[in-house]
Amino acid sequence: MNNRIREFRARHDLTQDDLARKVGVRRETIVFLEKNKYNPSLKLAHDIARTFGVTIEEIFIFNEE
Amino acid sequence: MKRGLIAIAVSLLVLGSAAFWFFGTGDHKIGFEIVSFGVIIVLVGFGLLFAYRRLSAAHRGEPVEDELSKKIIQKTAAWAYYISLYMWVFMIWLKDRVALDTEQILGAGILSMAVIFFVCWIIIRARGLSHE
Repeated sequence: MNNRIREFRARHDLTQDDLARKVGVRRETIVFLEKNKYNPSLKLAHDIARTFGVTIEEIFIFNEE
Repeated sequence: MKRGLIAIAVSLLVLGSAAFWFFGTGDHKIGFEIVSFGVIIVLVGFGLLFAYRRLSAAHRGEPVEDELSKKIIQKTAAWAYYISLYMWVFMIWLKDRVALDTEQILGAGILSMAVIFFVCWIIIRARGLSHE
């Protein structure tokens, strides 16, 4: 699964720390997400999407393989 | 915060006990004692690192644990348990082939379990959890 968190974060002028605080996780978790080293829970994906005011599908891109 | 302070206290207690044992056994040290003391130092370092991470997160106002850190610990524990089973089988095989007391074999096994946990934690953090 890929994601566009870095792109949306830059668009909203948020640091990793800011986003982490808004969704209630550690900054390290945002780092792992942006490096595609972690697939978030549905709740975290929902919280991130809501923070950016978009749907989950716009941020997280599911690959079939 | 509380668990971070407990981790520091336990680490320092272990370090103090290890130093008392190591420096209290006389000047003649065998290789096993030196290696054991070295491994204990590494594990105390790991405990202090764990405590530092928790305290610094609390200091920054971040949650001390979140879903990623919990998953990393869960996966690390599962891997370490599985690998430790094979390590104990190896220890059983080893016990008749080396001149070590039962206490030394058990101590080496327990230290090995801690080292296995530490190594698994590093590998899992480096690999990430995206393949799950």
